[in-house]
Amino acid sequence: MNRRTVLGGLFAVASVPALSACAGGITSLNGSGSTAGGAGSSKGGVTIGTANFTENQVLGYLYAAALQGAGVKTTVRPNLGTREIVIPALRGGDIDLLPEYQGALLNYLAPKVTATESGEMQNALTQALPAGLQVLPYGMAEDSDAFVVTRETARKYGLTSLADLKKQNGHLVIGAAPEVKKRQVGAVGLKDVYGVEFKEFKSLDSDGPLVKGALKKGDVDVANLFTTDTDIRANDWVVLTDPEHLIPSQHIVPLIADRKADDTVRKALARLGNLLTTAQLTELNRQVDKDKKDPEDVANAYARQHGLVR
Amino acid sequence: MTIDWSWISAHTDDLTTLTLSHLQAALTAVALGLLVSLPLAVVAHRIPRLRGFLLGASNVLFTIPSIAIFVLLLPVSGLTRTTTVTGLTVYTLVVLLRNTVEGLDSVPVKVKEAAKAMGTRPLRTLLTVEFPLALPVIMAGVRIATVMSISLVSVATYIGDGGLGQLFTDGFQRDFPTPVIAGVVLTLLLAVVADAALVAVQYALTPWTRRRA
Amino acid sequence: MYELFKNLGTWLTSGSQWTGPDGIAHRLAEHLQYSLLATLIAAAIGLPLGLLIGHTGKGAFLAINLASFGRALPTVGLVVLVFLAGGLSMLPVYVALVALAVPAIVTNTYAGMTAVDPEVKDAARGQGMRGHQVLFQVEFPLALPLIMTGLRLALIQVVATATIAAYVSFGGLGRYVFDGLAQRDLVQVLGGAVLVAVVAVVLDVALASLQRFLFRHRTA
Repeated sequence: MNRRTVLGGLFAVASVPALSACAGGITSLNGSGSTAGGAGSSKGGVTIGTANFTENQVLGYLYAAALQGAGVKTTVRPNLGTREIVIPALRGGDIDLLPEYQGALLNYLAPKVTATESGEMQNALTQALPAGLQVLPYGMAEDSDAFVVTRETARKYGLTSLADLKKQNGHLVIGAAPEVKKRQVGAVGLKDVYGVEFKEFKSLDSDGPLVKGALKKGDVDVANLFTTDTDIRANDWVVLTDPEHLIPSQHIVPLIADRKADDTVRKALARLGNLLTTAQLTELNRQVDKDKKDPEDVANAYARQHGLVR
Repeated sequence: MTIDWSWISAHTDDLTTLTLSHLQAALTAVALGLLVSLPLAVVAHRIPRLRGFLLGASNVLFTIPSIAIFVLLLPVSGLTRTTTVTGLTVYTLVVLLRNTVEGLDSVPVKVKEAAKAMGTRPLRTLLTVEFPLALPVIMAGVRIATVMSISLVSVATYIGDGGLGQLFTDGFQRDFPTPVIAGVVLTLLLAVVADAALVAVQYALTPWTRRRA
Repeated sequence: MYELFKNLGTWLTSGSQWTGPDGIAHRLAEHLQYSLLATLIAAAIGLPLGLLIGHTGKGAFLAINLASFGRALPTVGLVVLVFLAGGLSMLPVYVALVALAVPAIVTNTYAGMTAVDPEVKDAARGQGMRGHQVLFQVEFPLALPLIMTGLRLALIQVVATATIAAYVSFGGLGRYVFDGLAQRDLVQVLGGAVLVAVVAVVLDVALASLQRFLFRHRTA
């Protein structure tokens, strides 16, 4: 082929009409699983989506194991992206079920609501959810956002709580996943509630290698991690306390499309929720991150061990 | 950086599934790309005024980062295979359209005139004379588009698809090189095999090009 | 769709969007730095290689096949692999971008060299020119148009692909695409994409002008 001319007409047109022209067209190749309307039924199988961090994959596969134990067919779609991406996908019918976190989900749906107690939050969630979605009873296990500094940084600036960060306004760099820049439990809330302003917000990842690496190297002073991450203790990092309760305590809660929420699904997920403790979940996360075990294997082993599947 | 062979042997099924899914996305995109390019190429070949516009448009699309195309398709087709395939199709256009137009250009005028003189209708000439003679150039484009698509599929891992690309994000999140190495090697293998298969297809489709002895 | 483009206009024209560490000016500079440096390194590798193969006629089969192999390398995989091997730095990004650019440069340089009329080369030798004189005074100038095409193609691909830097925490215009994805802020994604496309087109135009300038120089 002659590549001499590949770029020939490059600037012949503006990109705008060309861009919009490509968006339509092709119809669905794989058929969406949405069968809206009527009472929910899990007969056709349930597609579980998960967000882009370890624990959410573990939870997704735990949900799958619990549902399979109850005879429901499941598909897991791991690592789809952030809450901002997966919830629209749930509404659009690409997925049916998501492992969610009470406080963070409530903040996403209704940033102004101030419920902090778990039962209250559950009610607020039910009210805030768009039609077609519902939360099932929340589980025992909890995992919250944490703003973490190294022991050294804590000493240097005298940091023990989020309120202390204000003393260093304009000096500290925070590292977190990009979405945290726009979230209440994130740059927005830290400013509103504690008056904290950072020198820079570094877009990294959700409790992943980038944010932890940056904290270790000193590229960021404050890192957004999750309380169920064993690395916090392993590295002797300091979790800043939250006297103003910016960070809601949050139990893990299944968010499901009405069309799939039947009794079988409810019972199976409630059973898992009443079983799984925070300590157990933390250990499962560790097995995936440190022992390099598959989230699916880890979840299945847990389900077998606790009699969720035979 | 060591390879954990036990991980690989324990995941042959997953690797097979991902490889097939990867291939399916790439090939569907090339097929759709051809479906779009062939008629457009005829238009560009016949109507000089539209030629610059069509080729220019496909070139501009090529300068847009693939990840952005996938994300911008989310409101249209969500987190589905359709999004992946549509995005990839856009990228195949620049090569497929250009090569098809050049292939059609390369058909000697005398041959077309001969067909006309024999009373062959234009559409028939196009299908039985022009396309077959343009085939080597078109196939060269198909080969490049296929290899390019195979390498690009993995970008769709950022929207939860991406075939073998899922191994990259997984290995990245867990600081685990084995899946990443497996993904890179399988992608390269897939490209080599697909390219060889296309060479074979071309060989079978163009018997006249080798009747030289 | 209309709403999206209207918001894009606001996004692109608001003054605050252009300043600060996450401002367009800074991101643009980063993007240019990544793209130009990567293309320069790729040219330093690909040009001599292509010239050598073209001049000697040796290793062509291997080089061309390696080039098509290189085209199949998944950029995301390469970035992650180098990151896992060597830790967080710009190295993974540059390795991936250079790997992307080298094949286009090598194959086009080689193609340019083989397109030079053998009789011209013979005539040059007949006039007593030595090997390197033939290469630099005859073959290289004649191959230049195709060499430039290779460089332009490489640069365009590198500019579009340099967005990947944002995946491993660095800047450039990809920051808008990846942040926009995480925040589902499509205006930001579109803004990033449009800016990348504009950079690619502008750089291509610049190289095309350079090419014309070089031609004029040669024929003068």
